[in-house]
Amino acid sequence: MNRQPQIVETFIKKVLAHFDEADPAKLQLFLQLFNPHQCKIIFNSQPFGQAVQFLQAWQTQVVLTQHIITAVDFHVIPGTGTIVCNVNCKVRFDESGKDKSGLDSAIPANGPDSRAGPGNRGLDKPRPIWGTYYGVSLQLVLEDRIFTNDLNGVISSMNYTIVFKPSDSLMNI
Amino acid sequence: MQVGGFNNVNQIGALAQQNQLENLVSVSIRGWTNATQQDLLNFISRKTRISVRNSVVQGDTITGYVSPQEADQLVKFSGYRFAGNSLKIQKADGGNPNANTNDTITVLRSVLLRRYNAQTRMLDLGNLFNDPELVQHGMAPKNVNTQSKMFPAMMKVASKEPTMVVESINLSDNNLRDVNGVTTLAQTFPHLKNLCVANNSISRFHSLEVWKNKFKELRELLMMNNPITSDRLYRTEMLRIFPKLVVLDNVVVRDEQKLQSIFRLPVEQTQFFFEDNGLASSSTDFVANFLNLWDTNRMQLMGLYTPQSQFSLSVDSSVPAATVPNAQTTPTFGYYLPFSRNVSKISSDKTIQERLRMGPEAIYEVFGSLPMTKHFLQEQPHAYSVQAWTFSQVQGFVITLHGHFEETAKPEIDKNKSSQGAPASRGRRYNHGFTSTANVKLSPKSFDRTMVLVPNPNGSIIIASDTLTIRPFCDSAWAKPPTASQLPPPQQQPQQALQPQPQPLQPQAQMNVPLSHTPLNAPAVPGQLQGTVGAGVLQLPPEVQAKLSPIQLELLQKLHLETKLNAQYTYMLAEQSMWSYENAIQGFRNSANNLPAEAFV
Repeated sequence: MNRQPQIVETFIKKVLAHFDEADPAKLQLFLQLFNPHQCKIIFNSQPFGQAVQFLQAWQTQVVLTQHIITAVDFHVIPGTGTIVCNVNCKVRFDESGKDKSGLDSAIPANGPDSRAGPGNRGLDKPRPIWGTYYGVSLQLVLEDRIFTNDLNGVISSMNYTIVFKPSDSLMNI
Repeated sequence: MQVGGFNNVNQIGALAQQNQLENLVSVSIRGWTNATQQDLLNFISRKTRISVRNSVVQGDTITGYVSPQEADQLVKFSGYRFAGNSLKIQKADGGNPNANTNDTITVLRSVLLRRYNAQTRMLDLGNLFNDPELVQHGMAPKNVNTQSKMFPAMMKVASKEPTMVVESINLSDNNLRDVNGVTTLAQTFPHLKNLCVANNSISRFHSLEVWKNKFKELRELLMMNNPITSDRLYRTEMLRIFPKLVVLDNVVVRDEQKLQSIFRLPVEQTQFFFEDNGLASSSTDFVANFLNLWDTNRMQLMGLYTPQSQFSLSVDSSVPAATVPNAQTTPTFGYYLPFSRNVSKISSDKTIQERLRMGPEAIYEVFGSLPMTKHFLQEQPHAYSVQAWTFSQVQGFVITLHGHFEETAKPEIDKNKSSQGAPASRGRRYNHGFTSTANVKLSPKSFDRTMVLVPNPNGSIIIASDTLTIRPFCDSAWAKPPTASQLPPPQQQPQQALQPQPQPLQPQAQMNVPLSHTPLNAPAVPGQLQGTVGAGVLQLPPEVQAKLSPIQLELLQKLHLETKLNAQYTYMLAEQSMWSYENAIQGFRNSANNLPAEAFV
């Protein structure tokens, strides 16, 4: 019984779930998946020197996302201890105008009508307003330790490319 | 309901010819807008005993044909009350009905051009009721009804004026009770930045709902002197309907920097990434040659694969949203599905195992079973995107290519002709087997292909791993639509298909500051049109250039394009802002007005 495909697919789903995570406290868990010494990250054809920079940018400068896998394929490269994954997924962005921390860009109206404080961070969490799906092609180079359930620093490169975009989205990519 | 009636022009031309043969003349009737065309014709034939033939509606006018004598009689009925309006009946000049439509277009066009200011990119459609030219031709909107006919016509004419680049529109003083009559504005000018609808009678939010998310770049809105502005929810609703509104009635309602950062990714998408220059030239050559052979003779590629090489393809059959430009809505994957190793869709281990091909023979069996293709790397370099980076564990590198191809012919190896004694006479065409013709229709496809390449000591290259994703065709995300404020593309040598723009990975952390996206609202330099004027490629003295990293050079180039400052000032600006794009742009905005004229190119 070959469990490799399931393990790879589960791992990819885990990575995408990290992408979609709103809670900054979980960032450390995502960071642990990347090789701390040598990791190449390319996002929309732009390089990031280190995983931590990319993840911070993703956490602080990108609105909430939702990824859905549409295709996964992988090759174990013999004699190297590595796996190359070729993934396609769809992603949509929260186009409500709020960032991950719930802040929006509206300037509070002065006067009696200024209800909640900046960004209306009320008690109830505002719901995201999802835009139309974008298409993503994602390549990961992983170490085959994932087959032995060791996920520490297994990602040695990641190439994330948005391949198609809807014309009715508010995002500028 | 006809809109504008310009789609009738051909029909009118044909009718005119036919009617001229019968020696009829055309008459035009206005002022009937509160009734249907048929009501009016019935009314006229009751009152005048004249039947108007072959009538056609154009805008607020009905044009029909009668004999010359009848026409003289009919004109006398001009001014007759009908459905609460007085009719206006005229003989069309020279019996040429086309004159009328063309006339309408000509008038609208001249009105538009007169009201357009190229310097400010402003189209002033204020107070159309009292436009002398429109009044003179009887086209000035008298009420909401005629307005809803005239305005779309005007927009249609405007959309055919390539020279009109419109960023601002004034619609003040038009007695607008809602925007229903002018909704077409959003289709004609989706990239509008400033809109003024002051001094109208708009009173309900509901009527603005049609514009929700339509003007995605609308930055400023003026609605003074409309009842709606006194509503308690006015500001909240305007913020909701116009998601990128920054200034409402001269009050800043959104923090522009925050707004832009929310709707932007940390870096702007580019077409190519190569880890270093060597990789740039070798990988572009490799991709070009590979695709060329893939299109012409796949057998020739087999030398690149060793017995250890692996190939598999996966079909991503999810259809892109309808709003993705040129997306295929009913893609067919009949030829690919028997080989698809999309493990998120296939549950059988045996199938997943079988569909991973190892070694040249097994790989060629798939290559030969895929449709013949044509890629357009030479003809449409912008349609392809490439990333290449080193892969130390195999002492090689990875190349990923995204793009599209056309399927030109059926596969060489016919999978469907089973070798189990199927009579040769029953080719695919008459085969009522598994593959229906609809399922294997040839069509363009989009794809992503990732290869792990290992250079041999002797200088040749082998492909260790090759994964191909086939997905429905659609336009690519990295192709930037040319906008008015876009700059000319970098010099392209025609004989070179791909012009990589290498950006080395810099190990030092501080060098990897992501360059952010150009702000939408760059400061306009006084006396200079934004856009393609003035700024080109930055010329730096070689000794300065030598000291700078590629990232710094790119930053300078971006700043230069953004600010139109000359080389010396661009460099000073970058230095002073510690090579941060954000700081530099902010600094430029703060001091742009105090800079000497010679600071600009």
